Amino acid sequence: MIRVGRAPKRALFLYPGEEVRPSERPKVRLHGATKHAIDTGRMRLMVTAGLFCFAFTSISVRLVDLMLLKEPTSAPGLRTAASAPHNKLARADIVDRNGVILATNLPTVNLYADSAKIGDAKAAADKLISVLPDVKDDDLLRRLTSGQRFIYLRRHMTPGEQMSVNRLGIPGLYFEDSERRVYPQGNLFAHALGTTDTDNRGSAGVEKTFDQALSEKREPLQLSLDLRVQHAVHETLAAGIARFRAEAGSAVVIDVHTGELVAMVSLPDFDPKAVGDSPADSRFNRTTLGLYEMGSTFKLFTAAMALDHGTSKVTSMYDASQPIKIGRFTIKDFHGLNRPESVPEILIHSSNLGAARMAMDAGTETQKKYLRAFGLLSPLSLELPEVGTPQFPTNWRDINTITIAYGHGISVTPVHVVAGISSLVNGGKMIPSTVIKRDPNNIPAGTRVISEHTSDAMRAMMRMIVLEGSGKQADVAGYEVGGKTGSAEKVGRHGGYSEHSLRTSFVAAFPIDAPRYVVLVVLDEPKGSKETYGFATAGWNSAPTVGTIIAKIAPLLGVFPMGHHDTFEPLPTLIAALPNDGKNEYAKKAVASVPAMMMDELARPTISMAPMPTGSRPDTIAALIKADVADLPDVVVEEDGAAQ
Amino acid sequence: MSDIGFSSRLRRGDMIAPEKVFQVSWSLIFWLVCIFAFGFATLYSAANGKLMPWAEPQLARFIIGLGLLLGVAVIDIRFLMRYAYVIWVLVLVLLIGVELRGVIGGGARRWIDLGFINLQPSELMKPAIVLALARYFHGRGLEEISSPFSLLVPLGLILVPAALIVVQPDLGTALVIIMTAAAVLFMAGVRLWKFIAVGAAGLAAVPIAWTFLHDYQKDRIRTFLDPERDPLGTGYHILQSKIALGSGGVFGKGFMQGTQSRLSFLPERQTDFIFTMFAEEHGMVGGLVLLGLYVLVLIYGYAIAFRCRHQFGRLVAMGITTTFFLYFFINIAMVTGLIPVVGVPLPLISYGGTALLTLMLCMGVLMNVWVHRDVQMASRGSFGYF
Repeated sequence: MIRVGRAPKRALFLYPGEEVRPSERPKVRLHGATKHAIDTGRMRLMVTAGLFCFAFTSISVRLVDLMLLKEPTSAPGLRTAASAPHNKLARADIVDRNGVILATNLPTVNLYADSAKIGDAKAAADKLISVLPDVKDDDLLRRLTSGQRFIYLRRHMTPGEQMSVNRLGIPGLYFEDSERRVYPQGNLFAHALGTTDTDNRGSAGVEKTFDQALSEKREPLQLSLDLRVQHAVHETLAAGIARFRAEAGSAVVIDVHTGELVAMVSLPDFDPKAVGDSPADSRFNRTTLGLYEMGSTFKLFTAAMALDHGTSKVTSMYDASQPIKIGRFTIKDFHGLNRPESVPEILIHSSNLGAARMAMDAGTETQKKYLRAFGLLSPLSLELPEVGTPQFPTNWRDINTITIAYGHGISVTPVHVVAGISSLVNGGKMIPSTVIKRDPNNIPAGTRVISEHTSDAMRAMMRMIVLEGSGKQADVAGYEVGGKTGSAEKVGRHGGYSEHSLRTSFVAAFPIDAPRYVVLVVLDEPKGSKETYGFATAGWNSAPTVGTIIAKIAPLLGVFPMGHHDTFEPLPTLIAALPNDGKNEYAKKAVASVPAMMMDELARPTISMAPMPTGSRPDTIAALIKADVADLPDVVVEEDGAAQ
Repeated sequence: MSDIGFSSRLRRGDMIAPEKVFQVSWSLIFWLVCIFAFGFATLYSAANGKLMPWAEPQLARFIIGLGLLLGVAVIDIRFLMRYAYVIWVLVLVLLIGVELRGVIGGGARRWIDLGFINLQPSELMKPAIVLALARYFHGRGLEEISSPFSLLVPLGLILVPAALIVVQPDLGTALVIIMTAAAVLFMAGVRLWKFIAVGAAGLAAVPIAWTFLHDYQKDRIRTFLDPERDPLGTGYHILQSKIALGSGGVFGKGFMQGTQSRLSFLPERQTDFIFTMFAEEHGMVGGLVLLGLYVLVLIYGYAIAFRCRHQFGRLVAMGITTTFFLYFFINIAMVTGLIPVVGVPLPLISYGGTALLTLMLCMGVLMNVWVHRDVQMASRGSFGYF
């Protein structure tokens, strides 16, 4: 039809049948529909050829562009590498109050099998066991032949394990991206942080409380706890437990103005990596879940109540010589002076009778009202799943009023105690406690529970207890510690109190002229020793432990050891008002009195400032701390260490 | 008659087989062998300088394929035309057979096990559909095909197998078949506005079709639009391919010297991404030479269509040429990131039996058109003795 190419002899002959296909005759003149058909055909051949040319040109240009004009880039490779660790799962980090990481994630892989795709299950099981020896043999074979399409064989494999399994080349085994929660500080924050399960869901501690936020948000969760303080407290408490042969212990440090817990230690603790292998006792958070009869420490609450309510004055005298008989109970004093005592004397000598009489004067309803205000009758509002609800008599009779006055018959957690004592020393405001860092500009105002005047008196009396009473061994030069001991007999296994197993505690506020922190140490069944002259009461173990803790943490917390010389105004006033029986034993100045037996503990500052985050703390403080430890004055040991 | 005897016998198509062999365009076969030689060398290099596992079996297949080519070339073209529909039906039956009892590989059901060979009927459908369409349009005037109803039969010929292939799922092959068929329709003179209408309808259906796409297909398209989106996952192929191409430079790293592809950065280096490896080793020059060879084959196909004196042969030649063109165009455009990743092999170079044999079959049909370029044919495929 078309005249192209070599068709030289076409004119010489007429092809058979050519007449029936006029459109294919080369020499005939064409017109009308047939011409149109031929033109269309020709045009379309050309268009197709044009399209081919265009396509060919485009890929040629592309090839030149890729191979010549583009730099042989390594940029995509770099981007590939950079984006590799990106993990969609990523649970948010948890950091301490200075931003140090306490909990983060490690990308891992999980090994799973599709049993339908595993050819020879026996061979596969044998091979697997050769590289993962701790996988159970028969169980593995049973699972691999079960026909299930998704079987977890191993969670959180190490890269080494992954490589060795990969090398086996078993079809039907797959890896799944995963992540594992890691706690770089090990045991240190075990109870506060809690743990996560194999699916990385929180199962205890703040990991559980904030599970949803941690899984959804990216920004880290900032706790109020301070790594450095926590470490110092942890270390000192552990040393105290060892030294006094206690069975367990707990310690809490709280900021009295913000309600933030700065340290929270419960011993024994556990390794978050192996939480499943740790005994239940070590997983128990004594600071928030442990309910204890706090003993004499409660006398502070009783005194604050009586003074604030107005039924007692600082100078009120209470007879501590005659036992109280009520029903079938008789309340006696172990350490009393056998004479009428003023309120400070009741605290200094820890008189049960005095405390009981103060409470009786105030009355049961007043006691309940104040204890409720101090937060001692309601569960903690702490952001932890493990919070204890205080135990107290539902039918609050007179005998309960009396025993609760000196801390028996009511059980609260250590955090309850520090929160309550904070409200006694911070000017009288109850601020809810927290483990989450608070914005300094947005601290809860708190509710007034006692007057500022009462708070002043409480601080003066707490200071006097340390100066003259059972808390001597808690004093630290320059930090003006005020506190109160408590030694409660533990409830024995078969009910009733056991005289020889004590739970001792010491609660302290420092510096007492303007308290910043409250520290509490509770020791479970400490034993007497030669060092303690056989005493096992709080003044001989909990008090020096608290003193050591304060000596270590006060510099870290920016509490300067200068300028405290008992110029605290309420104290001389109080002393002047007291009956003076000749020798003014309350007028003594504070001396350095970290007990000698704890000195080696203190002289070994294991806290180095170097790895800590700078920025929040100027280096001058670091220098101060070192100077402070080096230049501690000689220790004066009170030879007549009168207990309680 | 003597001086025109040969021509008239040619014209009537009653040549004997040796005469036909004489008519075969040996120069085209030479170019095909040249391309295959490149492929053989590349497969040898891909196996790190070993004949196994790819180069040797591929050589055997190519030799079989050459026999197939010559065998098909000497069949009488009127025979092909008469049985065009029958061939189409046979391949369709195979396609349905795949659906019913096919072998699953790579997540799709594309192969059928005939006992001695694993056949991929969707490949065979490419020449079959070209033959069937050419048969339909042969001898039909423009008036005849101007009615929209006259297009119902060709549309059925196209869409039934295409639908079967789409559900395998093998969207790439289905699209190639549809484009080949469209080229045949275009050459047959179907009015332009009909293409425009179908194209517009296709575009309008894109959002609907998107919902029917498999996740891996959506991923490929998303990756095409932004290859860096998932550099370790779906974007890995194309990114590595571009890196390897870029590292080749003008003259390449030399035979057996490619690093990106040799160090297994590049997956599927012996099949769909073989061009990348070839270009990394032989550079831009090598890549353009290979492209030039393909274009040469393309020009042969085009010339054969041009020289052919009957509508059937012309349409068949253009259809086959388009198929060949789509093979290498889609493959090279894919590895250079011009179009999304679709599993189309590089003709005569990629490792793979069905694709190679199908291609040689197609080339055989093309050659057949060349040999029978002057044969007189009646409108229904009779032998033309009137």
